[in-house]
Amino acid sequence: MKQYNNFFGDFGGRYVPEVLRGPLSELEEAYTNAIKDPDFLAELKDFQKTFIGRPTPLLHAENATKTLGGADIYIKLEGLANTGAHKINNAAGQALLAKRMGKKRVIAETGAGQHGVATASACAKLGLDCVIYMGTEDIRRQRPNVYWMELFGAEVRGVNSGSCTLKDAVNEAFRDWTASYKDTHYLLGSALGPSPYPDMVREFQSVIGNEVVTQTEDIKIDAMVACVGGGSNAIGFFSPFIEKDKPRLIGVEAGGRGKGAGNNAVRMDDSGKLGIVQGYKSYFLLDDDGQVQPTHSISAGLDYPGIGPQLASLGESGRIEFQSATDKDALEALKFFASTEGIIFAMESAHAGAAAIQLAKDLGKGRNIIVNMSGRGDKDLFISAAALYGDKWKEFLEEEAKRI
Amino acid sequence: MEETNIITHFIAGYPDLKASLATAKGLIDGGAAALEMQIPFSDPSADGPVIENASRKSLEAGFKVADGFNLVKLIHDYADVPVYIMSYSAIVYNMGVDKFVQTAVEAGVKGLIIPDLTPGNDEGLYASGKAHGIDVVPVIIPAVSDERMSEIMAEKPEWAYLALRSGITGSYTKLDDENIGFLERLKKYDAKIMAGFGIRTPEQVEVLAPHCDAAVVGSYIVDSVTKLWNETPFDYDAVKTVAEKSVRYLFTGRG
Repeated sequence: MKQYNNFFGDFGGRYVPEVLRGPLSELEEAYTNAIKDPDFLAELKDFQKTFIGRPTPLLHAENATKTLGGADIYIKLEGLANTGAHKINNAAGQALLAKRMGKKRVIAETGAGQHGVATASACAKLGLDCVIYMGTEDIRRQRPNVYWMELFGAEVRGVNSGSCTLKDAVNEAFRDWTASYKDTHYLLGSALGPSPYPDMVREFQSVIGNEVVTQTEDIKIDAMVACVGGGSNAIGFFSPFIEKDKPRLIGVEAGGRGKGAGNNAVRMDDSGKLGIVQGYKSYFLLDDDGQVQPTHSISAGLDYPGIGPQLASLGESGRIEFQSATDKDALEALKFFASTEGIIFAMESAHAGAAAIQLAKDLGKGRNIIVNMSGRGDKDLFISAAALYGDKWKEFLEEEAKRI
Repeated sequence: MEETNIITHFIAGYPDLKASLATAKGLIDGGAAALEMQIPFSDPSADGPVIENASRKSLEAGFKVADGFNLVKLIHDYADVPVYIMSYSAIVYNMGVDKFVQTAVEAGVKGLIIPDLTPGNDEGLYASGKAHGIDVVPVIIPAVSDERMSEIMAEKPEWAYLALRSGITGSYTKLDDENIGFLERLKKYDAKIMAGFGIRTPEQVEVLAPHCDAAVVGSYIVDSVTKLWNETPFDYDAVKTVAEKSVRYLFTGRG
């Protein structure tokens, strides 16, 4: 889908204070030049191959398929990318761009920590100073990722405002950038925010979908499934297909504890309201006055109250179908694919896994589904083990604490 | 010094609704030329920690946008002072830009300051303001280009707000050749200039006064009220007094 005047249909735009107009224009110009420059593209491609480990495999999940007795499930193992998730695709692209722009310092927000880890890693490799903003609630949930970021030499700054999660980290990164843009690039991690971010992040993530095209030359795909927080893995995975009318594209939002405001992060049923928040127009979870509402998800990467503008537009047009999976569904999917296929989904990606399990049963034999495992689940050890391993895990942690 | 105009900023509903009215009354008695009332938003990304925390407390205390408009009426029952509303696009867009403007006019608001709805990217705010006879105040920065300044001034605003430095509200701003020089360059435009961001001392007000039409003071007032409220909560007379003293201090250096 082409964007016109920075909008995708009614969604998107660049609603920022005057101070950020200049930096965003500068970024847009640098990006549109770079993405046409064969030298930049060659550098990016080499980085993808030698540092990220692309292409990532497409696994035919034969055991899972047999167990369910329905459609064939294929899993795009994006979690095998270096640093464990799709986030590195965008972080690498933007870090290379920042370097090309002559920026010395990179700032980023992170929710689950995967974008922070990816950014810190790319900055370490490319010799850029790196500051990561992360909500204190997310730091609590994803502490191991803080350790990795610091090991990569990044400074992690805890954000103790609002809900202390991703959206607050975004606010803090914008605050930093309004004072630091001269030497600093804001490496936004999802396909949202003011233009040109939604466009740029989709382009850097489209490598996922482009690989799928090559990897499925002999397979007729009936449906593709991805989880949607802000939506960068989904828009990149779907990217080569959004202007065609097939296959079915299914986005899965966080159903959390179930229905009701504050229990989930579902925006694409009737809960989301058209609004302008954090520089772009899209669907957000807002109260009557337009204040941003609290959300919940077991996964730190899916509890953002807004959705990327292009996804919102494609949802509105009907090209992308939206569903949700609850915390419990995601945990079940995590167990299912671990035991049948020997792979561990990130809690975020497990939402897509849960929807794929149901869809495989609904579609039946002879059909093909591809699910994007946007990340692997190592980072969730402390959440999934506590939920699935109970007292034994607690015992282990207590023993371990005594030992160190 | 009698020509010095100080526009004071405060947050509707902070620390609670009654206290914000007391603050406004104190600011008026202290000699504020106009009030800039911020309607709190849950995610005020252009503001620093002082205003962000105050906004959050206001919302936690149950503040609704309708309370803000009502507050303007109560302020005008007390004194006939111009009141500007500052808020974010999220709040304005949620009500509907035209309806927000109309509601503001009905409440007697003098003008609107919505930093993330800029000329050319404003969801019809400037046109609506003209149609309903209310001033929409653009926020500009010293780094703005001449070309962009022409676009902004094409809206023919009565006032423009100069943010004296890049970054967020609250921290101290050094007044130097860049921002003072820029203020001088702004004199070629018709718009009157209110200048703010990090103005906390009478010395700054004194330096600024000859170069603009009004100095805007924000986080300093919020800080004063916060300090008082933490010591003696719910003492509304004291809130009014501290607000009044804060403005007097900025005029004279004496509280």
